[in-house]
Amino acid sequence: MSLIEVNHLYKEFKIARRQEGLGGALRSLFHREYSTRMAVQDISFAVGRGEMVGYIGPNGAGKSTTIKMLTGILVPTSGEVRVNGLVPFQERQKNARQIGVVFGQRTQLWWDLPAIESFELLKQVFQIPDARYRQNMATFSDILGLEEFLDTPVRQLSLGQRMRADIAASLLHDPVILFLDEPTIGLDVLAKERMRKFIREINRERGVTVILTTHDMNDIEKLCRRMILIDNGRVMYDGELARIKEMFGKERVLIVDLEGEVNGFSIAGAEVIKQEGNRKWLRFNREAVTASQLINHISEHYEIRDLTIKDPEIEVMIRHIYEKGIGSYEGACL
Amino acid sequence: MVQSLLRGIDMYLYMAGASIRAQLQYRYAFVMNILGWAMTYAGTAITMWVLLYSFGALEGWTFWELIFLFALAVLSWGVCMVFFFHFRSLDQYIVNGTFDRFLVRPVHPFFHFMAMKFDVGAFGQFLFSIVAVSLAYSSLHLHWTWQWLVFLGAVIGGTLIQGGLLVVISAMAFWTTRSERLYWVVMWPFKSLMNYPLSIYPRVIQVLVTFVLPFAFVNYLPALLLLDKTSNNFSPFWGCLSPLVGVLFFWLCLRFWMLGLDRYKSTGS
Repeated sequence: MSLIEVNHLYKEFKIARRQEGLGGALRSLFHREYSTRMAVQDISFAVGRGEMVGYIGPNGAGKSTTIKMLTGILVPTSGEVRVNGLVPFQERQKNARQIGVVFGQRTQLWWDLPAIESFELLKQVFQIPDARYRQNMATFSDILGLEEFLDTPVRQLSLGQRMRADIAASLLHDPVILFLDEPTIGLDVLAKERMRKFIREINRERGVTVILTTHDMNDIEKLCRRMILIDNGRVMYDGELARIKEMFGKERVLIVDLEGEVNGFSIAGAEVIKQEGNRKWLRFNREAVTASQLINHISEHYEIRDLTIKDPEIEVMIRHIYEKGIGSYEGACL
Repeated sequence: MVQSLLRGIDMYLYMAGASIRAQLQYRYAFVMNILGWAMTYAGTAITMWVLLYSFGALEGWTFWELIFLFALAVLSWGVCMVFFFHFRSLDQYIVNGTFDRFLVRPVHPFFHFMAMKFDVGAFGQFLFSIVAVSLAYSSLHLHWTWQWLVFLGAVIGGTLIQGGLLVVISAMAFWTTRSERLYWVVMWPFKSLMNYPLSIYPRVIQVLVTFVLPFAFVNYLPALLLLDKTSNNFSPFWGCLSPLVGVLFFWLCLRFWMLGLDRYKSTGS
């Protein structure tokens, strides 16, 4: 049986039209005008124990709404959610014991207190046995280097330190599942790498199932084998990252710098996906046209100053799926 | 049941301790806050003195009786602030999304939110009210015996009544996101109203603060009994009812807050 099961999940928000001023606020208590918005529509997926899944989509796609329903913060409009056998919104407090949650942009630590105090408070809140607490603190301090700032008030921590403290805090009570909402947002390259290493480690060593939302495709590429791609509240793709790469595997991107004045640039057999002045990004299928043919075409009409050939980036692939859907792609390429 | 209660108290004390340490991080603000409040109330007391200097008495209430009435309200407001003042900032938590954290922990969200801050800013209220009650007690030559129980009941009841209203006002944030304004529109006028004997106000207001928002049980009704005064409309017996009214009113307010929380869980904002 799967650890997380989501079946035909819907979440509809009623958005009240705001009325001005205090009078309006009071009036709106009794009478309101609503418009509805479907944040999540008919989402279904299952996650097995020990999996690490990237849950991605553009802003407003319904990522956070789904996570909130899985953590019990939000009650679904309809559909089924089970997390390790529990229905989160019905047994929210019980569910809280088996999950860890990190919201990248909002700390869960006590702002004015040294980091260590937050850990002690969470020990109380989750009733973590002394021995287990010490053991976990030792492990996390070791990997995340917490000692250097344990006695510093959280408000004075750097973002990287705060995120390290936050993720350690979310794991103190040995959750079965860890929800990470943008865990690397705003971090520098080194801090991101450190965070990813830690996430990989707790997944591997402790078997913690990880659900991760992110905008950084490197997070997905380095952490997740599987990704669920959503847009407008619907699942666009659910499967292995490798398969997407394979589908796009026949694609190459040619980047050319042209000399002189260039107007209305277009080339048969390739699609212009981006341009910056005289630098053009051209996507082509290497089975339909070879790179040298393409370069020949271009040099017949323009003078090439410089060129590079690249594999498409994951980000480009995903943007393509958002724009055209996965189906169109499978038809075209496979 | 007993075990979970004990655990709750244990956790509350632990979190309260942490909260005090957090507030002590800002020592200057901490001291100024206490002094500021004590001065504000002393200012109101001086206004009363000036008022009575020209009138002699207000509806049969002498200066020290008025001070007692006022100080009793300040005392329970002080206790109320310690436990419930944090609810004034509930709207902040909802606006910036940090309220969610109370829903991903295995503790009742009301209790958890309440335990987040043990507001020591209220020491100013204690400073003023304890000094003022003591002075009034000796100036009025009071000799209480069983009355101490009524006094204690008034403080407990007053704490729950005012705390309940703070809780209700905070819960409005679950619907309207902003509730700070309501505090100034509802809480503050009623509190100011109760600085003077209820008998000076029109009948409508007397009924309102007795049966709807039971502020009369915070100080006026217990003071009638404690100072052995008579009133045309109330028997002194009403003064004993403060704790009972407090518990009932607070329970209703808590239900309302939970209703708001349910709404939050369906909208998430």
